[in-house]
This record gives sequence, C-alpha cells and structure tokens, in this order.
Amino acid sequence: MTWQIIVFYFFTYGILLYSVLLMICYLLIGAFSISATREYLKKNSFTDYRVLASSTEAPSMSILAPAYNEAFTIIENVRSLLSLHYNNLEVIIINDGSKDDSLEKLIAAYDLFKVDYFVNEQLNTKPVKGVYKSHNPVYRKLIVVDKVNGGKADALNVGINIARNDYFVCIDVDCILEQDSLLKLAKPFLENSTQRVIAAGGVVRIANSCEVKGGRLVKVNLPKQFLPRVQTLEYIRAFLLSRMAWTKLNGLLLISGAFGAFDREIVIKCGGYNKNTVGEDMELVVRMRRYMEELNVPYRVSFIPDPLCWTEAPSTFEILGRQRNRWARGTIETLRSHRKMFFNPRYRLLGMLSYPYWFFFEFLAPIIEFAGTVGFFIYTITIGLNYFALMLMIAVMSLGILYSIFAILMEVLTYNQYKQRRDILRLVLVAVLEPFVFHPFVVWSSIMGNIDILRKNNAWGEMTRQGFATEKK
Amino acid sequence: MLLPLNNQKSFEAINHLNQLVPDDYRFNITLFFTIKLLAANTILKIFSVARDHYQLVVMISVAFLMCGLLTYMLFYLYLRRKYEKTHEKWRLISDLLIRKAVFYEDEELEDEVVIPVTKRATKLLHNKRFRKLLTAEIMSAKKNITGTSSDNLKQLYKQLHLEIYALKNLKSRHWHIKAKAIQELTIMEMSEFQSDIYVHANAKNELVRMEAQTALVQFNGFEGLSFLDIVTYPISDWQQIKLLQQLAHVPQIDVSIETWLASSNSSVVVFTLKLARNYHRFELYDDILPCLDHSDPKVRLEAINFFCEIFTNETSDEFISRFLKEILKNRVAMVKAMQNVGTERDILFLLDLLDDKNHEIKLCAARALAKIGENGLTSLFDYANTIGYPLTEIVMQIKGELAA
Repeated sequence: MTWQIIVFYFFTYGILLYSVLLMICYLLIGAFSISATREYLKKNSFTDYRVLASSTEAPSMSILAPAYNEAFTIIENVRSLLSLHYNNLEVIIINDGSKDDSLEKLIAAYDLFKVDYFVNEQLNTKPVKGVYKSHNPVYRKLIVVDKVNGGKADALNVGINIARNDYFVCIDVDCILEQDSLLKLAKPFLENSTQRVIAAGGVVRIANSCEVKGGRLVKVNLPKQFLPRVQTLEYIRAFLLSRMAWTKLNGLLLISGAFGAFDREIVIKCGGYNKNTVGEDMELVVRMRRYMEELNVPYRVSFIPDPLCWTEAPSTFEILGRQRNRWARGTIETLRSHRKMFFNPRYRLLGMLSYPYWFFFEFLAPIIEFAGTVGFFIYTITIGLNYFALMLMIAVMSLGILYSIFAILMEVLTYNQYKQRRDILRLVLVAVLEPFVFHPFVVWSSIMGNIDILRKNNAWGEMTRQGFATEKK
Repeated sequence: MLLPLNNQKSFEAINHLNQLVPDDYRFNITLFFTIKLLAANTILKIFSVARDHYQLVVMISVAFLMCGLLTYMLFYLYLRRKYEKTHEKWRLISDLLIRKAVFYEDEELEDEVVIPVTKRATKLLHNKRFRKLLTAEIMSAKKNITGTSSDNLKQLYKQLHLEIYALKNLKSRHWHIKAKAIQELTIMEMSEFQSDIYVHANAKNELVRMEAQTALVQFNGFEGLSFLDIVTYPISDWQQIKLLQQLAHVPQIDVSIETWLASSNSSVVVFTLKLARNYHRFELYDDILPCLDHSDPKVRLEAINFFCEIFTNETSDEFISRFLKEILKNRVAMVKAMQNVGTERDILFLLDLLDDKNHEIKLCAARALAKIGENGLTSLFDYANTIGYPLTEIVMQIKGELAA
C-alpha cells in the first residue's frame, strides 16, 4: 500500500465519517424543528395580539435602524417603521455619517429640528453630531441621530445609548416589517416566568419580486431571478429547520442582524455590539449567552417561526460573494473570541453542544467540503476515478437535496407563503440545482473569507441594493 | 422447521419429510417448504447484493425518500385544495345558519328560542370537520356581536349540542384540545360549566391554566379572580396583561384583594399591585408599604410603580430610606417616581444623586428637581454650573423638555 493510497483512504473515510455525523445532525434538526414548530403553532392559535397592541402594560420598545447612504429609500422605510402596530414605541434612526443627503431628506420629510439631548454613553462610540426630533406630533415616536461614521456595530451602540426603553429591536433600515411583527416579537419577553428572555428573533424572508406599496409588502411572490430564488430556499431551510430546532434545545447562537429584539439591560452589561467583528449579530448573542451562563441565571434566547421581516437578497454573484465572505469571517471571529467555551462543561449546552456544532458544521463544513472536492479531482486526474469517493459525493449531495425538500415540505405545512403549486415545484427544482450551481460558489466565498481572516482583511464589503421602490410589478 | 439453505440438501430434507407423512399431505408439504426456501434464498440474495453495493442501496433509499416526500407534498397540496372547496361549501351552510340565528326574531315570544336548522346542516353535524368549522364560525361571530343576536348564537350553539363535544374535549389528554375546549366554552358563555373549568385554574400546563383563568374572569368579572387564592404556578406577564384587559370591560367592584398581597406566589403579588394601581385603591396604601421590602425585586418594582401614582407627602421618605438597599433598576424607578412624589424636602437628596456614578440616575434626579418647582429648578441650575459635564448637558436637555 503506497502512502498516496493511505492518505486517500484516511481522507475518504474521514469525510465519510464527517458526512454521516452531519446527516445525523440534519436528522435531529429536522425532528426537533417539527416538534418546536408544532408546539409554537398550537400555542399561537390561542394568542390574540390585539391585547398587547392596546395595552399600556406592554413592554416599551425602541427600534434601532442604522442607515448609511440610504437616501434613495430612507423616507419610505422610516414611514413604514412609524406605521407599525405598537403602542409603547420609539423609532431611532442612526445616520452613520452617510455621504449622501439621507439626513437632509429626513429633516425635510419629517419636519425635524436639532434638540439638546444628553447621550448617556454607557457604551463607547464615535461622537454623536446631533439628535433630531420632529415638530409634528404625528412623528413624536421618531428620533434621528446623526453621528460620525463608525460602522454598523458602532451605530447600533449609539442607538442603545440613546434608547430609553427596556427592549430594543435592531433592524436593517431597508427591511420591510410585517405590521404586527413587534407584537409578535414582544410576546416571548412576556410569557416566560422562570427564565429571563434575553433576545428574540423572527424569520427573515426574501422580498425580491414581491409587491411593495408605501413601504408595505402587499403580495408575496417567489423571486424571478435564480440567485434570490435559491436564497429563498436557503432562508427557509435555515429559519424553519435549523433555528427552530436550536430554539427547542435553547441553544440558538444567532439572531439575524436584520431583525432581532434584545434585553437592553443585559446588552449594556455585556458591553454592546463588538465593533471589531463583521459578525456583530452572532457575536452579541454568544456574548450575552456566555454572560448569563457565567452568572448562572436561567435565561432563554427565543425564536418565532412567523415570517416577520422581508429583506432584499443579493441578486449578483459579486454581492453575494461579499456577503458570504463576511458571514464566514463573522463566524470565525465569534468562535475565536469565545474559544474558552469549546467543550467546556461550565457553559453546559452552550459549551458542549451549540459551540461545537458551529465549529464543526458551520465553520469547518466549507473547508472540509472544499478539501474533499479538490482531493477528489486531484486523485481522479493523477490516479483515476475512485468509484467509492464518487458515490460518497453523490450520496452527500442527494441527502442535501432531500433535506431541502424536507424544508419545502415544512414551509408548505406551516406558513405556505408561496401558494401556487407551480412555485413549490420551482422551489423543488431549485433544491435539485442548488448543489451544482449555488452551493459551490457559497463554499468558495467561505474559503475566501477564511483566507481574508488569515490576511487580516476585515472590510465589511459593500452591499448594493436595488431598493424595493424601483423593483416589482 | 428449519431447512438447510443449500438447495440440494434442502430438497433431500423435503423428500425425507414426505416419506414420514401420508400421501395426501405430500404435495402441500413440498409446496410449502419450496416457497419458504425460495423466499429465504431471495432475502439472502438481496442482503448479499446490498452488502456488495451498499452505496447503491443508499442512493436508492435517498431517491425513494425524495420521491416519497415530493409525493406527500403534492398529495397534501391536492388534498388541501380539495378540502378548501368542501370547506367553502360548508362555510356557506354555516354562514346561512349563523345569519339565521343573528337575525332571528321570535314573533310568538316563546320562552325558548328555537333557531331553524336545515336538514342538511343537521346531517352534516355528524361530520367532525364540519362541526369544527361551524363551531369556529359561531365563535368568531359571537366575539364580534352583542345583545340579542349574541344570545341567539349562544342558543344555536346549545341547540346543536356543540357544548357536549367541548366538554368531551375538556377531558382530553392533549393540552391544546383541553385549552381549546375551555376557550370555546368561555366565548360561548357556558358559565354553567365553570366548576369543570375551575379545576384547571392551577393546571400544570400553562395554556390550559391561562385559558381557565381567563374563563373564570370572563364569567364572574372581579370575583373570578378568586383563583388567585389557589394558584401556585407563576402568572406570566402576558397573562397579567390579558386579565387586566378583560377586567377593563367588566363593571368594577371593590373585591378584597389585600390577602393576595401576602401570597407566597410573587407573580400573584405583582398582579395584585397592578390591580391596585389601575383601580386607584388608595385604601391599600398601608397594606402595600411592606411590599417595598419584599424579597423579590419585581414585587418591589411594582410597589414603586404603585406609589408613583398613589402617594402621600411621606412616600418620598419611604423611598429615600430604602434607596441604598435597592438594585439599580429599582433605584432608577424610585428616582423617576420622585418626579411625582418628590417635595421640596427632597431637594438635598436629589442634589446628592446628581453626583451618582450612573448617568441615568443623574438625568432622572435632574428631571425630578425640575418638576418639584422653582426651588428645585434653581438648585439644579446652580449645582450644574459648578460641576460641568455631564450636568450641563443634562440641564440643557431638561430646559428643552420644559420649553416643549
């Protein structure tokens, strides 16, 4: 037996073992997700959110929406936020040193004037240039903060300093929220008497090709372009299966930066958003969990499967690549900063299950997949086709497709946003194409993210959006 | 009987067996054992192929599962569409029935109202799905209608004996069925069954418990709160909001709530404090004072909120004497409350707080000073001039707030 053969077998059987473990995880995720979703739907059928909408006892909430060069859509987006159904609310728009005329547009549209405002700097941030409120009582909930550019995390920290309410909801300003999204997101904080709910997230869906009028989503359509469509499937898989399953276990590590609610007191105690990472959303949740574990206080990170927030997905490979590169770097940076928890029994489920899962199946997955594919091609070219390795690759891909189809089934059985049978079949087709067209690109972007980490490149990566106002119809 | 798997030996064994039995049975025995042998051989063959081509087996299984899931999905969509059509028909029948009940006028003024029900609807009532749909429709209509029409809907519900099914569901093993049954009986005002519901007011399952508590308040108003005597599980903030909302729609009566202030269940005490605050129970002032020393900070916070609205000239002294012992969140609440309860006697205390490490306390203390009156405001401005940051900024903000 030559050394090449030994290496080959080590490599192949290693990947086989990894694939089997991954498939077991997928099976468990599927099972837990079914259980969690069923329980949620049953419980939710008793809920009348109107009770909360009109109650003075509802928890006070602040929406934090950082904006950077969003002049094109900001007026509509702010209007959409102001029209949300929630009584005890303030909307804080943080203009993060935009180079365009975002601030001027806001001042003109909402009749704003600069006020003397004491900013309680509980979190260190770049300087605040001014705080604006409206002369018009209709917009009394609105606060606009103008600050020196410092990135998304810094802008959110300014928002946390300015916010006066018990909970804050951070959103991407270009997202479209369902009218009752805040009511739904507030509920987890109220219903748990034995554990402190420190954060809650909702499902983010893809809004490309959907009809939007006056900052509101009026008709849900399956995206017409391939990339947003495949991301639709990806989001269904991630939100309906993975996050629901982890919520059931109380091991969720990620609340999407696009839409999530947090306990302000705990966030401040934890030091707010980390400005030195591009994965600030995940890093914050992990740090909050770690803080609670170290205090040994019963806590929970909640997640609800209702589609609450709609966002525009990248429609070109260039922008998608930047996004996935950033996500990969964010994951690595978060795992690196909290490596102390890795298989550390002191952190219980967080250290023994959640962290290792992210390490092995989120961080390592693209690396192993990339190495396996490259190894397979090198072997095929130099020695010849190995039937076993080929079959293993096909089996893994097929199971991946199966998992996607299961996710579509869950969508059909629960929220069924895409009503037409044609759309479901299109999603199934996308599930079949994904491993060949989309997935290799995502893996490649993650590898580039890993390389960027080694090169110490920590750029955010510009996200150009088309905007909802120009699209559709 | 076990046969050797070697075919030659097997047939020899069958022949041997045939010699031992009468002629009439020989054919049957031969046939039986030959089939058994073939089946065993086929299974072994399949296992051997599977062993040699396990990857193929995995692939076929995955493909089979995929096709299965797809078929299930499409079949489900087909069934749902089919049911939607049927439901549409049933909905029309239900709507007609509900409309008849809503607009029913008893011309003969008989004691018992009898809503006319069509034969078709009566026949369909045996169908569980139709019953479920009709009940949901009646409940939905009942929630939005009051007066005689609402009474007629209740009569229709009883006339169709739908409450029998609800009572049956109340005994279900499944929590969601049980909770749904309680909800149904509540909406349909079936107060005669409240003893069946009361036993669930301290149920282990949260949803069942919540629905039972809601039902009792719905049937009896403030007197329905008697479940607070027995509840040992926590009442969530959500449930408290729901109960307060319900109570807002019933005539207020002064029930005795002070006993709940001594409950060992903290959430009961918190809820009682909310009740006392919302219904301005001034007479409970002295009973609530000990809550400022309760071991649960949530109770203390709710007591501070109560005194923020119902206070005397001595309330601020009660706060001041406990201020240093409190957690930060409650301290902030106390200083916020000082905006209402503070008097000129408290100016020195509030000026001291302007040196607190916590900026939020500083801001709230400054606001309280500004609210106390001219003396408080002058003291604040004078003190701020001597300190500088952050008091100058805080004072600027307060000036802006006062001007607005």
